[in-house]
Amino acid sequence: MATGINSMILELRSITKRFGDLIAVNDVSFSAERGKLITFVGPSGCGKTTLLRVVSGFAEPDHGEVILDDQNVTRKSPNARDTAMVFQNYALFPHMTVGQNIAFGMRIRKRPKGEIDKEVHRLLALVKMEGLGERKPHELSGGQQQRVALARALSLNPKILLLDEPLSNLDANLRVTMREELRRLQRRLGLTIIFVTHDQEEAMSISDLLVVMDQGIVKQVGSPTEIYEKPADEFVANFVGHINFFPGEVMALSGDEMDLQIPQGKLRVKKSIFLVKVGDKVKLVVRPESVNLVDAKEELTGTENVIEGSIEVAMYIGSIIRYTIRVGDQIVYVDRADPQYSGIFREGSRVKLILKKEIHMFKASSL
Amino acid sequence: MSTSSSSQLFRSLTSDIRHFFRNPGLVGVTSVLVLLLLVFIVFPIGGVLLKSFTVTFPTVTILSENKVSDQAEAESKVTQTILTALESLQGIEEVRPETQEKRSVVVLRFRKNWDDMRGLNDAKRALKKEEEKLAPYVAKMDFKLGQEKIKSLGTYVDFFSKKYYWVALRNSILLAIVTTILVVCMAFCFAYLGLKGPDCVRGPLRLLGLLPLIAPPFIFALSLIVIGGRKGILTKALMLPFHIYGWPGVIIAQGITFLPLGYLMIENVLRSLNPNLDDAASDMGASDIQILFKITIPLAAPGILKAALLVFIMSIADFGNPMLIGAGVPFLATKAYFLWISEANLEMAAVFCVFLVIPSMIIFIVHEYILKGKMYTTIGGKPQQTEKRKIPLKIFGPMMTIATPVSLMIVVCFGVIFLGAFTKILMIDNSFTLEHFESTNGIRSLMSSLKFAFSAALIAPVIGISLSYILVRKRIPFKRVLEFLALLGFAVPGTVMGIGYIISFNAPPLKLTGTFAIMVINEAFRNLSVGLEAGVSKLQQIDVAIEEAAVDMGASALQAFFKIVLPLISSAFVAGFIYTFMVGMIAVSAVIFLISPGNYLASLYILNVAEEGFLGMACAISVMLILVVLACLGSLRLLQKYTKSTFF
Repeated sequence: MATGINSMILELRSITKRFGDLIAVNDVSFSAERGKLITFVGPSGCGKTTLLRVVSGFAEPDHGEVILDDQNVTRKSPNARDTAMVFQNYALFPHMTVGQNIAFGMRIRKRPKGEIDKEVHRLLALVKMEGLGERKPHELSGGQQQRVALARALSLNPKILLLDEPLSNLDANLRVTMREELRRLQRRLGLTIIFVTHDQEEAMSISDLLVVMDQGIVKQVGSPTEIYEKPADEFVANFVGHINFFPGEVMALSGDEMDLQIPQGKLRVKKSIFLVKVGDKVKLVVRPESVNLVDAKEELTGTENVIEGSIEVAMYIGSIIRYTIRVGDQIVYVDRADPQYSGIFREGSRVKLILKKEIHMFKASSL
Repeated sequence: MSTSSSSQLFRSLTSDIRHFFRNPGLVGVTSVLVLLLLVFIVFPIGGVLLKSFTVTFPTVTILSENKVSDQAEAESKVTQTILTALESLQGIEEVRPETQEKRSVVVLRFRKNWDDMRGLNDAKRALKKEEEKLAPYVAKMDFKLGQEKIKSLGTYVDFFSKKYYWVALRNSILLAIVTTILVVCMAFCFAYLGLKGPDCVRGPLRLLGLLPLIAPPFIFALSLIVIGGRKGILTKALMLPFHIYGWPGVIIAQGITFLPLGYLMIENVLRSLNPNLDDAASDMGASDIQILFKITIPLAAPGILKAALLVFIMSIADFGNPMLIGAGVPFLATKAYFLWISEANLEMAAVFCVFLVIPSMIIFIVHEYILKGKMYTTIGGKPQQTEKRKIPLKIFGPMMTIATPVSLMIVVCFGVIFLGAFTKILMIDNSFTLEHFESTNGIRSLMSSLKFAFSAALIAPVIGISLSYILVRKRIPFKRVLEFLALLGFAVPGTVMGIGYIISFNAPPLKLTGTFAIMVINEAFRNLSVGLEAGVSKLQQIDVAIEEAAVDMGASALQAFFKIVLPLISSAFVAGFIYTFMVGMIAVSAVIFLISPGNYLASLYILNVAEEGFLGMACAISVMLILVVLACLGSLRLLQKYTKSTFF
């Protein structure tokens, strides 16, 4: 069979998986490109782990096919698939040493002993655990256990590495270090990784491609930038970062711009990516950091998209300051970076909010 | 490092002691409890140990009142003559002559087990020959039979030099090894299939794995006799040239009896294994059989070892099964009983007891202090819900091949007991009858069993829970020692506690043998651990702050105990009561040494009538005992549900 020609290493074709009445994964189709880090992300219970288990073979889909490197592996058991999994709780064998854990798969495949020893050595070095091969798992810290689990998974040169919330048992600082290290390793070795997490920040920072899921359905597939800047719907927009929504109605269309009526005033923005006509209802998505703030007394000439509000809360976080601003009936969040330099508005003061011309939006009916 | 930690230990000990003596109430209660433990647990066990190092020799004492003028004359004319006369006497180990003024006293110590009447007659005959020489000087000569107890290893030497004795030790160890291997294999299959097998076998195996718990411990021996004894159903129907008595019977009966013990422990450890480990191994390419042998069994090993150790001591200590179906094959526990009942050889029985105690003590200590906490805690983080893995035929087949006949056997054993109880003579005259239930002796024995179990069940939890309170809540020195003493009664085989009580309470100030009280006390002190454990687990569920709050409100420590703690741990008392009652109803091994004619117990009565061949009656009483036990288990269940707590 010809392999390696297709740049897609994994293809999921309308996968459906039920647990009793619950549809854990609902008709999911998706392909993964060789050498990329892909993240399944979503709130707990969204089906991301189940989907991963379908890929690894621990769960058999009720419907659909799993194509791994041009081979249909849907009915193959986990031990016959070229995938390797790192479990959330690492699942290190507690009765074996670190070295024995890493060697386990190779022993099962009856590789010669000398070769196994050399490989264990190489893998230990790869995850920066040289000299700890004789330790038992319970003598290791959480981060070290994580590395061993990773080395064990890499020992069989899997076509895809599957990571199930691998960082969730580590403390916050270590989590950041480990994910950077993981990313470096993935780039260096050209690994294809599917990474499952519920942490949107982790997902954004580490991935080439995000698969955002909710209630068994894929909501959006895209790069971190696309997901953040152009969320497909309210769920995705809400899930990644803070967000302000403005309901709007299309008033007029001219050239590549259009006029919108929002409760707080009129806006002139770039045309949406979807087709609209006058009278359509839309929802505008405005990230808190994309709004500019000026004092209400300041005279602005020729500046469009200005609305006025009063500051209710100013929360100083250090790198940014987050304002909670009442604009008409609505609360709008605005983040300003570098507050030491740009100055701080007092609570209660009136401000003008300046929105950009490029505003992402989706049709209100799609909600 | 070690010196600093030991000096630290010493400092904490002295501070414990100082703290302890500052509280007179605590000192009082603790002393009473310690005294009880010393008298009713340590003293009898010590008595057995002492007895095993004692050898009794028969003695004949010759007392001669002499007609002589002084001591020198008495010495030369009488004492010396007597000694010469006795020179050729047989069986003599030691001669101790003594001349006291005008009297001559010669003590003859004969060899152990020498017929003392023969010795007496031999001595008389020998002296008759010298009558002429003695007559002028002797006014009166008396002979006294006596005994001399000497501390020596003689009985042990005897034990090892006679196959008649040591074969019992060999048999018991052999039996324990075979039973342990058998039980562990069966229990593993039951536990593995009960957890991971297909739905249709899981339920039945779980039930059957635990079912033998409700039966008096020798019931399987009884039903095996009904099935495969000399006149057994199967033996007759198939005209088999052999029967089940002896080794095969004891092994099968013990195997079934101890299955629940192994099942519970192995199931527990298998359940605690992180299913992700199986997944990880499978992901690494391991087949199901490789997972079983490289992951599951090694990880379950500590639990399996624990189960094996427990089954091993239970098998060695078991009395009922070898008694009923052993057919004269000597085992330690039963042989000790026969040494006492038919040879009155308490010294040898005591040596047997020492050999019964040694393995139990070693294993008890290993189990309590070395293995404790040595489990692989494999569930870290959240164990993920995994889809049940299907067991391949390669594993399911062999396991089912073991589990099926065992299951059938359990069902058949219970069936035989119930059918046997309600038919005239099972398989010969199958007409329904209730006559087996109408035996007056049977009913009477059941009544005394109820009285016996009830009394023991009142005492045991009171002492056990008091101990648990002191151990959990109070600062006292030598806590571990106290705990060890309390558990000792449970750890030591019943036979040993039975013989220990006979040895120790046979003379004033505590002459208790032959009374109902001695049976009850024995049973109670052998079951302290139940109340103790129930109390400990309950107390650990109750925050100390609750008591402190009461004291803060002005209550004294005693008031706090009675008004706050007692109501809260009353359910532990009830649990301890029911459990001890249940165990008392089916007790055999220790009480068999202590029963007195008016107090025959149902469990012993079954042994008795079964040996005499009244199997129907034995079945009927067994059925009644099973019902009592079931009722107890039911009420325990209700209690746990009602109070929402677990006790054991």
